[in-house]
Amino acid sequence: MSRFALSSSGTSTFSVNRRQSLLQLGALVTLPWAAGSALAQQSFTVQQSNGAVQIPVKPKTILVFDMAALDCLRALGAQVKGVPEVVKFPQVLEQYASKDYTRIGSLFEPNYEVVKGLNPDVIVAGGRSAAKVPELSKIAPTLDLTVNNAKPVESAFKHLKILGQMVGAEAKADELIAAMQADIDKLKGLTAGKGTGLMVMTNGGKLSAYGPGSRFGMLHDVYGIAPANKDIQVAGHGQAISFEFILKTNPDWLFVLDRDAAIGREGASASKLLDNPLVNATKAARKKQIVYLNSANWYLLGNASPGSLHDDVTQLINAFSQA
Amino acid sequence: MRPLAFALPAVAALAVLAFISLLVGVSDVSVATIVRLFSHNEDDLATQVLVASRVPRTLALLLAGSAMAVAGLLMQMLARNHYVEPSTMGTAESAGMGMLVGVLLWPDMPVFAKMGLAAVFALAGTALFLAVLSRIRLRAALIVPLVGLVLSGVIESATTFIAYRFDLMQTARSWMTADFSAIVQGRYELLWLSLVVTVVAMVAADRFTVAGMGQDFATNLGLNYKRLVAQGVAVVSVVTASVIVTVGIIPFVGLIVPNLVRLVVGDNVRKSVLWVAWAGALMALVCDLIGRLVIAPYEVPIGTVMGVIGSAMFLALLLARRKRMGG
Repeated sequence: MSRFALSSSGTSTFSVNRRQSLLQLGALVTLPWAAGSALAQQSFTVQQSNGAVQIPVKPKTILVFDMAALDCLRALGAQVKGVPEVVKFPQVLEQYASKDYTRIGSLFEPNYEVVKGLNPDVIVAGGRSAAKVPELSKIAPTLDLTVNNAKPVESAFKHLKILGQMVGAEAKADELIAAMQADIDKLKGLTAGKGTGLMVMTNGGKLSAYGPGSRFGMLHDVYGIAPANKDIQVAGHGQAISFEFILKTNPDWLFVLDRDAAIGREGASASKLLDNPLVNATKAARKKQIVYLNSANWYLLGNASPGSLHDDVTQLINAFSQA
Repeated sequence: MRPLAFALPAVAALAVLAFISLLVGVSDVSVATIVRLFSHNEDDLATQVLVASRVPRTLALLLAGSAMAVAGLLMQMLARNHYVEPSTMGTAESAGMGMLVGVLLWPDMPVFAKMGLAAVFALAGTALFLAVLSRIRLRAALIVPLVGLVLSGVIESATTFIAYRFDLMQTARSWMTADFSAIVQGRYELLWLSLVVTVVAMVAADRFTVAGMGQDFATNLGLNYKRLVAQGVAVVSVVTASVIVTVGIIPFVGLIVPNLVRLVVGDNVRKSVLWVAWAGALMALVCDLIGRLVIAPYEVPIGTVMGVIGSAMFLALLLARRKRMGG
């Protein structure tokens, strides 16, 4: 009995070892973008700021901390196991409010016990959870899909490709990318010559402004809306401004992100806040060109995913085609 | 000290600063605009900015600054300690917790209800502070503010924890640091209430002076000490709540201003309360002007400016006192 046990465990150890070494061999041979390789891919390498990471192909248990990545996976038709706890899921991600998905922490802070307990094959983090990538990497291979604000669209496309490769849906990823690009091109064609725009965020009754290169800079950098003020410095939560600043900047378009609404707490609404003599004197107000953006999409997904980008670009296309 | 000889220049200085405050901002408002406003009613853009934004902001600064300073003075008499103020003894932090609870339970709460809730929390927090204080035997000068700081730390941590759990950290931060940038017509009027309360404090000044001498002394003079303390706490709580709901927590004014005035005028509340109100308004105006100027056209919140200037002044005050006492 004891001999049998010994030999049996010995055999299984050997076979695991052999499989592992085959895996490693596969990983060594497979280059990041070597699509169409004859070898069956077991994993592929993604270069990240903290070094290279081996991402398994067709992983069974996927945990996602980043909302944009979650939308990408949804669009790719992939199954995920765990999602973060949020007060209210953005419309495009409503399906994940179901109890079928395990809550694995907040957008910022993983619940490590739950994460570990799920024994994930891969974890997808980024943006708000980027700081936790090193810690998460100790549990499972972790993708850091933080959007590069200087190149938001390139980032989004790159991330979609990586996720497509991961879940074995490369063709679908390419299709989604083409659709996103078409949306953007259509909007770009409409914004030229339609005047300048200013992006503000309202938060607890206070205002901040965002310009080109910021987290909402794609309005100017990608969608082609001329910035009403080119000098707004890039800062995580924008630059604190007064209503006078809006009047002085006097944009043709005012884009408003109501942060309180974005996180599912609609208090004194942004429109009430902005209904004052100073804002009402701007060109944007007089032309009725104050656009209340879909806060949850802009704030939580940053237009870095197929669903949110389509919805948000469509809203802007509608606004600009009426102007 | 002859009050009248000082009163005229003091009022003049405040008026000049308030006038400058009207002129500083992103849009162009000139002296001519202000003159025009008083001479004949013109409805140009600059006049609109003046009426809708500058005047409300300047008034809000005057009201909030003086109210917070007077609240600090009262609290110092009631706690019989010169180093307490609403933001170092749990009043302001409790009011903040009330705001958070309001946002969680009833996000569309009208502003008066919000203030009421904040005031109730502020009352409870202040009462807790005084209750803890009455159980402490060793009332050395620095023990009292330390107890207050510990208590406000605990309350603030609890608030932060709730805010963190419900993803409201940044919303909470918006009233943790005072900021006058969003003050326009229609968004500051609640502060007039704090003026009413400040006037009440002025009327009752003598009683608070007596309260500052302790329970036994006050009772011997025929005052209902407990009722007086309750009234004082109510005044401080309502003032703090109205300021926090409108602009956020303004630190240090209530601590530094009464102490500076005390150095000159002494402990008599009736003599000092007007000076405290004056200096509080002055300090608020100066700090807000600095915040508006350093990174124009953007703004540094007054809470931040006040934190920097206030802590420096507080240190200077402590060191000056030690020197005077020969330490």
